[in-house]
Amino acid sequence: MSEEKANYIEIVTRGIWKENPVAYQVLGICSALAVTVKMSTAIVMGIALTLVTAFSSLLISSLRKKIPSNIRIIAELAIIASLVIVTDQILKAFFYDISKQLSIFVGLIITNCIVLGRAEAFALANKPLESFFDGIGNGLGYSLVLICVAFLRELLGSGKFFGFNIIPQFIFDAGYQNMGLMVLAPGAFFIIGLLVWLKNSLPGISKEQG
Amino acid sequence: MSETPNKNVIVFALLLSVICSLMITAAAVGLKGFQTANMELDKKINILKAANLIGKKKPSKKAINVLYNTHIKEVIVDDQGKVIDNHVSNSLNLYFYQQDNSVKGYILPINTQGLWGKIQGYLAFENDGQTVSGFSIFSHSETPGLGGEIESTWFQKNFKGKKILNAQNKFVSIGIAKGKSINLPKDKQAHFVDGISGATLTGRYLSEGIKKTLIKYDPVSITFRQKQLKAHKD
Repeated sequence: MSEEKANYIEIVTRGIWKENPVAYQVLGICSALAVTVKMSTAIVMGIALTLVTAFSSLLISSLRKKIPSNIRIIAELAIIASLVIVTDQILKAFFYDISKQLSIFVGLIITNCIVLGRAEAFALANKPLESFFDGIGNGLGYSLVLICVAFLRELLGSGKFFGFNIIPQFIFDAGYQNMGLMVLAPGAFFIIGLLVWLKNSLPGISKEQG
Repeated sequence: MSETPNKNVIVFALLLSVICSLMITAAAVGLKGFQTANMELDKKINILKAANLIGKKKPSKKAINVLYNTHIKEVIVDDQGKVIDNHVSNSLNLYFYQQDNSVKGYILPINTQGLWGKIQGYLAFENDGQTVSGFSIFSHSETPGLGGEIESTWFQKNFKGKKILNAQNKFVSIGIAKGKSINLPKDKQAHFVDGISGATLTGRYLSEGIKKTLIKYDPVSITFRQKQLKAHKD
């Protein structure tokens, strides 16, 4: 039992750090650029994607022996799309403001390569519970990157943290300005690029894999 | 790859579609109540925003309802701009902004076609029947970052103080300029708001929609202008 538990933890941490979907697999970049202007949207997007990846991996893995291989991708997409629509409905019901800000990006989770990528690469070959944890790990890994990027973008771009002004007025008076570039998508590109470089240059990261 | 009989494939596909559609239907039907409540509240917030009753900070749900109930009254007018009790053909819906029993302004619902889908919002006027006091958008499907900027505060604030009548008191509507309105000739500046770069088409659709709405509601504006004239004479 404890061995299984250790295995699950291994799977989750692998998704978060070693094989981080954004920094290592370079998946899901598009939405990472789009929703990271503010912390609040980044966190909700992270949670939504984690749930969708986890449950779609769980479902696809439990059906993996039943899904006919010639309609494999269609079946996976049908499951993912349904889950995304349900998530979107839930957001609209309970987090209306945030769902408005995320607008089409929740719907675009369907096309987020992380979800289909994990289904294809992991869920089809592994047991349901392992796939579930793999989905959680990858979702959290994605969220981690999103939160780091959003933190830097919100801080540098609008001088805020979770919508609160944290850069005091006297610094502005002294000539400090918010960095307009950070609010735009290219700002996210630079930050993601720097984060990937930082992560891969840290000691202890094996480079021979992949 | 194992050879799968076609029948199995079809049965699986059918079953999967039925299960998925049931799941979606359940979510859509089950959560509808919450969603409509949210939308109602959002509409109220936007009407209040157009009337400049709330600013950037969002008050609590209760405060919004109180503000809405004390200041906003939904009315129906006929095609002459007269307030009536029930819907008749050609009757129009709008909102009055009231303070201390006098009508301070009126708010028109904007419901128009955008580039990708419907744009819905509110345009508020002062009680002189020609000066815009506020503008807000609560639903659109324009491209985020480009046309989607119509929901940003700077764009909506842009409308405040613009006039739908020119110096000769002729109707000219308000439009969205290409670029900054300050670069336009002087006589046009009062009728154009700053445009959004990269969203020329959204701007064009919205200008067109606003013009159509204003023409439709012109009897109401005329009534307000006449009242204003009378008040001056008295």
